[in-house]
Amino acid sequence: MIFDETHTEQIRMCAACPKMCRHVCPTFFAWRSDSPTPHGRALLIHQAIIGTREIDERGVEVLFQCLECSHCLTWCKPEIDIATIVEEQRKALVAEERRPKGLVEMAQAIRQFHNPYSEPHMSRNNWLPIKKKKGGKSLFYFIGCTAAYREQEIASSTVDLLESLGYRISIGNGSSDEWCCGSPLFRTGDVELGLEQARHNAQMLNEMNVDEIIVTCPGCFRALSKDYPEHGLILNKPVRHISQLLNDIKDNLPAIDFMGKITYHDPCHLGRHSKIYDEPRNVIKQVSNSNLNEMERTRDNAMCCGNGAGLRTLFPEHAKKIGMERVQQAKQSGASILVTACPFCKNMLQSQSGNDLIVLDLPELVLQAKRGRKVKTH
Amino acid sequence: MLDSKIMKKLYKRMVSIVGTDYVHQQETDRVLNAHDAWPLSEAKLRSGEMLPLADMVVFPSSREEVSAILIAANEMEIPITPVGGGAGTCGGTLPIYGGIQLDLKRMSKIYDIDDQSMTIRAQAGVVGIDLEETANRHGYTLGHTPTSLRASNLGGFIATRSGGSMSSLYGKIEDLTLGLEVVLPNGSIIECKSVPRHSVGPDLRQLFIGSEGTLGVITEATLRLFLLPEERRFRSFSFPDVHSGLEAIRNIFRVGIHPSIARLYDPEDAAMSFSMHFEFEEGYCILLLGFDGDLTHVDLDDGKSAEICMTLGGVDLGEGPSKRWWEHRYDMYYPTRLTTSGYAIGDTIDIVATYDKLENVYHSMKKAMEATGAIVMSHFSHMYQNGGSIYMIFFTSQPDAETAWAMYKKIWDEGVAACLKEGGTMSHQHGVGLSRSTYTEDELGSAFQVLKKVKEILDPKGIMNPGKLGLGVRE
Ligand SMILES: Cc1cc2nc3c(=O)[nH]c(=O)nc-3n(C[C@H](O)[C@H](O)[C@H](O)COP(=O)(O)OP(=O)(O)OC[C@H]3O[C@@H](n4cnc5c(N)ncnc54)[C@H](O)[C@@H]3O)c2cc1C
Ligand code: SF4
Ligand code: SF4
Repeated sequence: MIFDETHTEQIRMCAACPKMCRHVCPTFFAWRSDSPTPHGRALLIHQAIIGTREIDERGVEVLFQCLECSHCLTWCKPEIDIATIVEEQRKALVAEERRPKGLVEMAQAIRQFHNPYSEPHMSRNNWLPIKKKKGGKSLFYFIGCTAAYREQEIASSTVDLLESLGYRISIGNGSSDEWCCGSPLFRTGDVELGLEQARHNAQMLNEMNVDEIIVTCPGCFRALSKDYPEHGLILNKPVRHISQLLNDIKDNLPAIDFMGKITYHDPCHLGRHSKIYDEPRNVIKQVSNSNLNEMERTRDNAMCCGNGAGLRTLFPEHAKKIGMERVQQAKQSGASILVTACPFCKNMLQSQSGNDLIVLDLPELVLQAKRGRKVKTH
Repeated sequence: MLDSKIMKKLYKRMVSIVGTDYVHQQETDRVLNAHDAWPLSEAKLRSGEMLPLADMVVFPSSREEVSAILIAANEMEIPITPVGGGAGTCGGTLPIYGGIQLDLKRMSKIYDIDDQSMTIRAQAGVVGIDLEETANRHGYTLGHTPTSLRASNLGGFIATRSGGSMSSLYGKIEDLTLGLEVVLPNGSIIECKSVPRHSVGPDLRQLFIGSEGTLGVITEATLRLFLLPEERRFRSFSFPDVHSGLEAIRNIFRVGIHPSIARLYDPEDAAMSFSMHFEFEEGYCILLLGFDGDLTHVDLDDGKSAEICMTLGGVDLGEGPSKRWWEHRYDMYYPTRLTTSGYAIGDTIDIVATYDKLENVYHSMKKAMEATGAIVMSHFSHMYQNGGSIYMIFFTSQPDAETAWAMYKKIWDEGVAACLKEGGTMSHQHGVGLSRSTYTEDELGSAFQVLKKVKEILDPKGIMNPGKLGLGVRE
């Protein structure tokens, strides 16, 4: 039995729900079928629990299509968290060696290279110049795989920004190297390999002589601040997301007039999963003279970007469809600059943005303000 | 279940029309797409029963694809069950004789808003809330506010003759649909032009509005739009009994006032729905009123309605209960521990009658349903100048599946029989589907033969949603 009594009861309730939250489920949006939906997933698991029918190959697919965005939870009065339930079921499927091939490959990549992109571990952070500084608060910047290999602009902007704000930055390198935080593995049910990464990182971070750890990736943030302690890996220094740090010092940040309106996309791991909604907004308002235009679906009702929990690995076209819709929502708000606070979200949203919407990560926007450089919009 | 040779042929044919990605044969897809929100289906799923499955689920993207699918199905005599949002409450989407479930969710384009004529045109598979939000962005509302707005589709709304909770003012979907496109079982695509009124024979739109997929597939519609109201005002009263509350409603409509909301909760439902949040006399009914419009008219209507209520013994409770109901109107549809435990099952019989009969229908149904041992609570939900509808809500919990499903049927049988005996009509907005299919002939009486003949002519091979609406029941 993988589910406790509370979860079993919740699954049974959800299996009998008249689809009250389906309208916000991004995978329902992408497939327009009742299979990849919150109720659909619960019904599959319920039928397996009570022995009506087992989860077959297609059932496995439906369960691994879930983005674990928890948007359904926002609309669920009995507060049933399908993302957690799906993650539990994924653990069992991984243990039975039934996860989709694409995710087996991703896990292999992380085992071998410590990143899901099969990029050489050596070149993870060695491209990023760090100033040797004395004095100032010391921060360890845990870069994360996506900013290290795919969105390097975010990593370099973060370092430049933090250094220009007077912080002393260090990053993982050499014997104190940073591995994948484990988030893609935790979210897709491979706790064992996730913990292998986590143990290394926890030891490395605990040995570091710094005041605190800063992350730009909400996936890393959730892993370090929630998954690690849940598995007994306690970090001996605080972990903050860059938006929290910038919010705390927002009065010291400069403001400029950005050409065009700005909107903000809440990353699921930062917003719904970590309840950080105001901090990035405060920062954007500060550096842009309050030029923030909300989308219709925002905060705990924000649509997922489509890049979560392995969906883009497994179903790239559907993931992009979701990203494209989120971009449309941003454009509908009248914005020409879309800011997010997640390398993963930025990566997806930028790929769909076309040339009438600039997509920036929060530290990039702040750095632009700091340099007094206006973002060119079309 | 079709034999494997026919299945193969059908599959190939469907794939040639919509492509492999949109023909689903796997059992998981057939299970997850089978059911709507019929409480009996939900209870059966909870208890571990399998429901009837289609042989395949097909997702077309255009009227032309729908047409090609129907031509093939007609040729091969394969049952077609249209699926909208799959949130109907009568089992209408259950493919009881197998065949194809034709799911319209991919057909979700919203076309132009015609500002001049105040209309909006969209494909049948667009989800209600998406259509309403689009209208809102342009300063309009559809005026169609069923509590399934987030789950049901435009096509489903029309196919079931659905009604929103503000139908007193805006009308039901049959009043809101101006134009309609339907694909007939032989594949021909017909259009009922979007016009405000006409005098060219019977209104053919109305033949398909409420046809529940038994006469053809609705692929597109043009709906009316209303300006978003400048003011939405809520007002509530308590009444010592159902009679005085109903009299108040009747007199409000009688003088030409059209509240957007007029709902009267009987003592049991009032206690259940409001006693936790508001103070009112035990055993009293609660009347909820709402007014949409410009400030001057709302002031006038609100004032005049209050006067009528007070004259008839109403106690003014302010905006509280009415506003709370509006803000929490979706809450009661979520599953709870109580309603999903063991073999618990509940449902709503949404009857309708004119004022001369309405109170008798209410008392008779309540008596008949309670005689089975069921818990019954009711509210008069959608009211008009000439009468209105009652939500007769029942709940029962039994020790095992067999007893529960038999009791469920008994409550329905007794309730509908009492309704018909007192001259009521068995559904105001939920439709017939499977749950009421066997009562259709009694309900329609001699007029049923017209429906049967229409069915025989339009769908001679009986492929369209067989077994629903009392039509095409097979032995
Ligand atoms: C929580 C909840 C609240 C509800 N509240 C209301 C309410 O306030 N008012 C109300 O009227 N109803 C309400 N209902 C009932 C239901 O949602 C409506 O009857 C709705 O119109 C059904 O639409 P659907 O798209 O879900 O249809 P489905 O359940 O998919 O289908 C309903 C029937 O229509 C047929 N059909 C669907 N689409 C087409 C098409 N394009 N062409 C031909 N036939 C088609 C199907 O075969 C089936 O017989 C509620 C249901 C739920 C679950
Ligand atoms: S998650 Fe909640 S609202 Fe969504 S289908 Fe399940 S029970 Fe219903
Ligand atoms: S977590 Fe997101 S993708 Fe998964 S069922 Fe809920 S809304 Fe859908």
